[in-house]
Amino acid sequence: MIKLSTLAVRNIKRNFKRYVMYFFSLCFSVFTAYTFFALMENELVSNAFTYDDRYRALLLAFGIIIMVFVMFFLISSNNSFIKARKKEISTYSLFGMTNRKIGRLLFMETMIVGLTALALGIGIGIFFSKLIAMILLDISLASFTGDIEFSIAFKAIYITGIIFLAIFCVMGLSGLRVINKFELVDLFKADKVSEGNSRGSITALALSLLLIGTGYYLASIKNYFLVVAAIPILVLVISGTYLFFWGGLPRVLHLIKKNKGRHYRDVNLISISMFTHKIKTIASTMATIAVLSAVATTAIATGFTLYSSIEKNTYDTNGYDMYFYGGQEEVLDYIYKAFEKHNVRIIDEYTTQRYKCSPEVEPIVVEGRELTFGQDNYFRVYSESEYNRLISVSRSQLRPVYIKPGEAMFGYPGVINDLEDTIVGKLLSFSSDLTIEITSVTQKDILTFGAFYTLVLNDNDFNILNHSGDIIATDRNGDPLDRVTVFKYENPLKSGDLNADFIQILDGKTGSYRTAYNHYNESLETFGLICFIGFFMSGVFILMTASLLYFKQIMAAEEEQHQYKMLRKIGLSTEIEKRVITKRLFPVFLIPLLIGIIHSVFAMKAADTMIFSNMLPVDNSYIVVLSFSAVMYAAYALVYGIFYFITKGQYSRIVK
Amino acid sequence: MQILRVENVSKVYGSKKSSKQYMALKNISFDVNEGEFIGVMGPSGSGKTTLLNILGSIDKPTTGRLIMDHRDITGLSKDQLAVHRAKKIGFIFQDYNLLETMTLKENIILPLALAGYKTRVMENKLNSIAEDLGIKAILDKYPYEVSGGEQQRAAACRALITNPKLILADEPTGNLDSKSGKDLLELLTFINREYKATILMVTHDVFAASYCHKIMFIRDGEIYNELYAGDDKKQFFDSIIDVLSVLGGERI
Ligand SMILES: Nc1ncnc2c1ncn2[C@@H]1O[C@H](COP(=O)(O)OP(=O)(O)O)[C@@H](O)[C@H]1O
Ligand SMILES: [Mg+2]
Repeated sequence: MIKLSTLAVRNIKRNFKRYVMYFFSLCFSVFTAYTFFALMENELVSNAFTYDDRYRALLLAFGIIIMVFVMFFLISSNNSFIKARKKEISTYSLFGMTNRKIGRLLFMETMIVGLTALALGIGIGIFFSKLIAMILLDISLASFTGDIEFSIAFKAIYITGIIFLAIFCVMGLSGLRVINKFELVDLFKADKVSEGNSRGSITALALSLLLIGTGYYLASIKNYFLVVAAIPILVLVISGTYLFFWGGLPRVLHLIKKNKGRHYRDVNLISISMFTHKIKTIASTMATIAVLSAVATTAIATGFTLYSSIEKNTYDTNGYDMYFYGGQEEVLDYIYKAFEKHNVRIIDEYTTQRYKCSPEVEPIVVEGRELTFGQDNYFRVYSESEYNRLISVSRSQLRPVYIKPGEAMFGYPGVINDLEDTIVGKLLSFSSDLTIEITSVTQKDILTFGAFYTLVLNDNDFNILNHSGDIIATDRNGDPLDRVTVFKYENPLKSGDLNADFIQILDGKTGSYRTAYNHYNESLETFGLICFIGFFMSGVFILMTASLLYFKQIMAAEEEQHQYKMLRKIGLSTEIEKRVITKRLFPVFLIPLLIGIIHSVFAMKAADTMIFSNMLPVDNSYIVVLSFSAVMYAAYALVYGIFYFITKGQYSRIVK
Repeated sequence: MQILRVENVSKVYGSKKSSKQYMALKNISFDVNEGEFIGVMGPSGSGKTTLLNILGSIDKPTTGRLIMDHRDITGLSKDQLAVHRAKKIGFIFQDYNLLETMTLKENIILPLALAGYKTRVMENKLNSIAEDLGIKAILDKYPYEVSGGEQQRAAACRALITNPKLILADEPTGNLDSKSGKDLLELLTFINREYKATILMVTHDVFAASYCHKIMFIRDGEIYNELYAGDDKKQFFDSIIDVLSVLGGERI
């Protein structure tokens, strides 16, 4: 009588090929878990973030998502692994092993593999912990220069260990459930009866497309209703996706099979029927992969877009490297000294008077509400040449304007959408019977300096209205308005020390001040973290989903082996065989990826409406978002493609 | 007309160095003429399947030549052999070897689809053969939905659809009950007669063998004897039994 543990080790050796991929993804999930717990523990990392709580909450939320997913992945691959070993297990049973004992045997195998992976994953995690913390800080904090010490996070090891041991136990129990469902007669039943063939249904196909389509439609609505609709959209699209893979895709394949000209051509006959034969057993996996790919690609695309547009966004909201109004007499000298001290060259600077005016405006109604202009909602007003001079100091990409007499450009903050149509053509009347028509609008508004709206007038009109007292340089108490000073200097986003000095000089001594450096770094902290998490999460998702697919295809290869043998007997050449294998495996990988990416494209549309359209100062921000996203989609597809080739290589080797 | 010539074919299993070498065929030579229906009989392990696999170019002989249609096929590469098999030879196996992922219809037209035929042509060929072989009604079923006899008919259809010169059948009735076995044999006779197909059938069933025109007996990898069918079927049957009893070995 051999010992159970000897048998377990022997089984692992024999099933090595099947275990390899599973083992690697297990290692990677342990590595991820350890890394995240270690990051959360790391004082230097958490201290480096000003928004400590938010950072913790984000990491925690991410950790929970990953763990739930890892559990799903492990249990599902374990169960399909057990199913693939049905014959072997039934044989044990035939020779008198009780189900409990078989369960113990399998549990032992799981534990041996699991504990090895646990040790290795944590080892790798410790080894790379310094590097990962550095990467996180590097992409999140422009100013971070400190050195992170190599450390072993014992608490993280402890938590990771407990979590994974718990998962292994759940796996063992769920495996036992699978074993109990086996019937001994299955051993003697022919393998040939189809388990996976399905014709699908046209209703399921139509319904799935309807669900997904409705989700897409809601996601593309350009409206704040989107925030409310987020959950319904997710429910619609996810349920639609599963329904599509369960009932819709089989129907599509059935329809393809009906099209004889296509179906009977070349190797389609073999590949499509092998695929349809397995569709039921792989439908859920494919749907899950589609959904997860959508999540992962959306995460990295959002992160990347945000991250890439931080600099642009900085200048679109802040405008200048540095500006302040009021207190020039007191601070300017110190400012110049600070520049000198840090050896930073001033590229340009300009100081100018702020003016305001409050003309009568024809009623403007936006989405049922009337915009009001009055004492509080006055206009900051500029002459054309003043405006052009100011923006020449700015780093935002505004172009000089030319305003004809009697016309004006109206500027308003980006948060209000689609004002243009209602506002152009409206008349402004002043006390000196000059009437001016709004002929253009701009949403980029970096000249408000304390006001809500801006007006740019023709130089001559400006002078007339200034003389007539319509345009004034005093506030409601009659005190003079502060002058504004803007600066443009070298390396503004990297000069942390200079910036620190500015804050010291300006704080409390001026009406208001802003630096691009501050804005940039605050954004970087948040978006850098999001970006980092996005990449990490995508890494985990792609590795697990792809290895699940790998796993299923390897099982399929073992079952399909004899079919290839048969085909070779009736004259299948190696070249045709390669084509059969390609056509057999390609759709399994491509369809979920494609659907995931299409989902993501619409998700990015929603993200564009909610976030990017206000952030990105271009007319069609969606195009910009999509082009950033496309880079990430390509990267994702590339990694995914590598798994396809690994799987194909292994599949080909098995059916040889 | 001669379509196949087997010249001094031997087959050795096991690597040359190892002591576990086994000579499954020993210097076999014979000719097959067009239109013949040949039975191959012999005790279990005598080398019948080995011979058939070599004839069908599924396996390569260790020494000797195989000439089919005046072409030496022993020197061909693996892929050339695959093309040769697809064009010239039809196989019927004991366990049918239909792909369970396909309907009978798809299984049957598979060789044509791989050869790139047009759908119309495929369907025409399929229809006439399926009609002749009496499986038209079940064409859209999957192998696991029909009986063994019907599966074997479909396999015969598949073997026939490319109009092969030679049909090789390895114990085609082995898994069938006697009624289905008889039906299949009549089918093979029909194919041999109507389609002018040359058939080589391995069998250990005397009743099955009695349908052939000629029987080759193999023992220990060598041709032991040959028998030709005369006009009297009963007499042919008896002489097969006589040879087999001399040949010895288990009948199954
Ligand atoms: N692949 C193989 N490797 C080694 N020996 C083999 C192989 N295939 C068949 N043999 C041996 O060759 C002999 C002939 O086998 P076979 O042609 O299958 O006999 P049968 O007449 O029963 O069909 C047998 O002794 C068998 O053990
Ligand atoms: Mg045999």
